[in-house]
Amino acid sequence: MRNFLIWLIVAAGLIALPHTLSFSLQEILVFLVINVLLVVSYRLLTLTGEWSLGHVVIMGVGAYTSALMTKRLGVYVPVSMIMGALMAGFVAFLLSFPLFRMKGFYFLIGSFASAEIIRLLWKRFREPFGGPKGLKRIDSLADINIGPIQVDFFEPVAYYYFALIVVAVCLWILWRIEKSLVGLTFHAVHWQDKLAQASGVDLRRYRTLAFVLASSFAGLSGALLAHYIGTINPNSFDVELMVFVLTWAIVGGTATFYGPILGCVVLTLLNEVVLREMGFQQMRPLIYGAIMIGSILFLPDGLESLVKRAMAAWKRRSTPAAEPGKESA
Amino acid sequence: MNVKTLFKGLSRRSFLGSAASVAGAGALSSSFPGMAIAAEDNVIKIGFLAPLTGPVAAWGKPGLDGCEIWADWVNAAGGINIGGTAHTVEFVGYDNEYDPGKARTGATKLIREDGVSFVMMLGGDTWPGVEPVADKTGMLFSTLLPSDLSPDSETLIAPAEVHPVYNVTGVEWLAKNKPELKTAVMCAQDDALGLPSVATYLAAFEAAGITMQDDPLLFDPATTDFAPVVTRLMSTDPDIICLDTCYSDYVHPICEQLFQQGYKGQIISCTADFYDQIIEKTSKEFMEGFIFQFPDFDDPAMEAEGINFKNANAFFEEFNKRFPGQWGAVSWEYAAIMDLWKAAAETAGSTDPAAVKEAMMAGGKGLHAFGEAEWWGSDLFGIDHALVGDWPVVVIEDGKARIKAMGSIPDWYAANGELLKKHMAAYGQMWDQRT
Repeated sequence: MRNFLIWLIVAAGLIALPHTLSFSLQEILVFLVINVLLVVSYRLLTLTGEWSLGHVVIMGVGAYTSALMTKRLGVYVPVSMIMGALMAGFVAFLLSFPLFRMKGFYFLIGSFASAEIIRLLWKRFREPFGGPKGLKRIDSLADINIGPIQVDFFEPVAYYYFALIVVAVCLWILWRIEKSLVGLTFHAVHWQDKLAQASGVDLRRYRTLAFVLASSFAGLSGALLAHYIGTINPNSFDVELMVFVLTWAIVGGTATFYGPILGCVVLTLLNEVVLREMGFQQMRPLIYGAIMIGSILFLPDGLESLVKRAMAAWKRRSTPAAEPGKESA
Repeated sequence: MNVKTLFKGLSRRSFLGSAASVAGAGALSSSFPGMAIAAEDNVIKIGFLAPLTGPVAAWGKPGLDGCEIWADWVNAAGGINIGGTAHTVEFVGYDNEYDPGKARTGATKLIREDGVSFVMMLGGDTWPGVEPVADKTGMLFSTLLPSDLSPDSETLIAPAEVHPVYNVTGVEWLAKNKPELKTAVMCAQDDALGLPSVATYLAAFEAAGITMQDDPLLFDPATTDFAPVVTRLMSTDPDIICLDTCYSDYVHPICEQLFQQGYKGQIISCTADFYDQIIEKTSKEFMEGFIFQFPDFDDPAMEAEGINFKNANAFFEEFNKRFPGQWGAVSWEYAAIMDLWKAAAETAGSTDPAAVKEAMMAGGKGLHAFGEAEWWGSDLFGIDHALVGDWPVVVIEDGKARIKAMGSIPDWYAANGELLKKHMAAYGQMWDQRT
C-alpha cells in the first residue's frame, strides 16, 4: 500500500511537472526523459560487465531507421519508432559476432571502432542518410484533432507526455528483465562468469542478449529524439554524447536501477538549468567538469550511495531503539 | 484546465502574442500580435543563438562580443527610433553548443520567454532544429551560412555573408596576381560547412584555370592529428594548398604541420582566425602571402567610401581593447546584420518580423557592410534571401592582414555560375538536393 502511494505521488508529480516549468525548461524536460531511457538501457548492458562506446551510435541507428521509414516509406510514426528499435537490436545482433570475441577493454575499443564505422557510413552515403548534413524535416507525430481534444506534438508538453508513457513502459520492462532469471544470469555473467559457465550458462549468448536488448531500447530513444527535433546528423551521435552517457552512469552509479537516472537528471539539471541560470554560459564545461571530478573523488560509489545512506538513516530512525528495561528482561 | 488548452498548438499569432506579453508589452500583446515590440521600458531585445562553447565557439562568441559593442554605441547615440520613440537595444545570448536540439530549446526560450524581436544564428547543423520554431512563430532569423536557405523557410535571411560563394574572390585574385601557380590540392572537414565550400573552391579553381592534382581530401571533424593529412596534401608537390572552410581548430594545426613538413608554397583559406597565433607557432615568413577572406577592421580600406560598416577602425580598436586577441571572422558580422536590422526597423516603424523583413528587402537591394549589394540566391538556394555584393580579398603581409582587393561576387557568378552549380550539384549541395 505504501509503495502504491509513493508511485501515485511520483506519477502525479510527473504529470503536473511540465505545467510548473517555463517553455525552455519544458523542452529540456523532453530531452531529459529521452536520455533517461538511453542511460537506463546502457545500464542493462553493463550488468554483464561490458561497457560499450557504441551505445549512442546504436541510438542513432534507431533514429535514422525511424526517420527514413517515415520520410521514404510514409510509415506511421509510432510504427516507425518500433521499427527503429528493432533495427537497432538487429544491428547490435550483427555486431555481437565480432565484438563478443573480445572482453573488457578490447570490447570497449571494438565497440567504439564498429560504431565509428556506422557513423562514417551515414556520412559517406548521402543517399539515403543525407551525408554530413543528415536528415531534416523528419515527420513529427501526427496531431490529434478529435472533437475538443487537440494535441499538437510540436508542443513540448504534449510530446513530453507521449515520451513519458513510452519511457515508463520501457523502464518497467527493463526492471522486469533485471529482476527475472535472465537478469540474475546477467549479474552472474558479470560477477561469477566461470561458475556460471560451469553451471551450463552460455556466457556469449547472455552477453549478446543483453547487448541486443539494451540496443533496442537505445534505438527507441533515438527514434523519440528524431521525431521531436525533426533533424539528425552523424554528429548528433558522436563520441561527445557517448561521454555524457558514461558520465551520467558513472556519476549516478550503476549498482542500482535508479543510479543512472539520478546521474542523468542531476547532471542535466546542473548543466542545462543551474549553470545557465547562474549566467555561466561559457564557463559551463569547466564548472561541469570540476563538479564531475569532485563527485568521483568524494562519491566513488555514485550519487546512488547518497540515497542508500539516506534510506539507511531513515530506517534507523523509524525503527525504535530497544528500551533498556526490556533489553535486560 | 481542459485537454484542449493543455495541448493545442500555437499559431504564429498566439506565439508572438505570448512572447510579447511575456516581455511585458502589455497592450501590444494578444490584441495586436503583429506589433511584436518586446517593449520593457522601451528595450528591444535581440536573440543571439550560436555556439558559445565547444569547437565551433570561435564563430559564435566573438560575434556576441561585437554585438555588445554595437549595442553600447547605438544606445549611447540614442538607441533605435521606432515610430518616433527611442528604444535601447539589448542582446540575449543562448549557447546552442552547435546542437540542433539545444538550438530548438534556445529559440523557444528567446522567443517565448525573453520576447526577442529578431534572432541571429550561426546556422549550419543547428538550423534544422530551429526551422519548425521559425515556421510556427514567423520570427525573423538570420544565418551566416546561406546554405541553410531554402524556399521552405520564408523568415530566414543571410544578410552578412554568402558563405561559401565569396571564396571565389580569393581564387580569382590569386590567379590574376600569381599566374605562375597552376596546381592545387584541398582538404576540408567532411561536414555541412566544409562540403559546399569544397564545391565552391573547385568551381573557382576551374574558372581560374588552376588544375586540381587530387580529389579534395575530406577528413572527419573528430580529427586531431593532421600530420597524415598534410603529408598527403604535400605528396603531389602542389603550387597551392587550399584549406577550404576549416574551423580554426583545424587551420592552426594544419598550418603548423605544413610549416614543420617544410611546405613553401601558397596557402589559401576561407578563414585565418587568430592568425597572430599561427604566426607565433610558425613564422612570419611562412605565413607571408597567406590568402583568406576576413579582414581586420583596422585596415585603412575599411574607411573607404562605399564601406557601410560605420567606424570600422574604431570598432576594431574597441574590440581589441575589450577582448584582446579574440578578433575573428565573425566579430563584425552579427553587428553588421544589426546595422541592417536597425535601419529596416526604423524604416518600418515597427519591430514586427514581417514588417522589418519587408523593409529590409525593399527594392531588392541593401547596404551590405562592404558596399551596396543585392538580394540574390534563387539559383543556389531557391530563394533570394542572401545579400550579395563585393567581398574583400585579404593577404597576410609582414605579419598583418591587409585587404588587397574587393572582388565582385555577382560579376564572377555571371561569368561562371554554371560551373558553381555543376560542382554544388556534384556534392549534393543544391537546395533541392538536401534530404
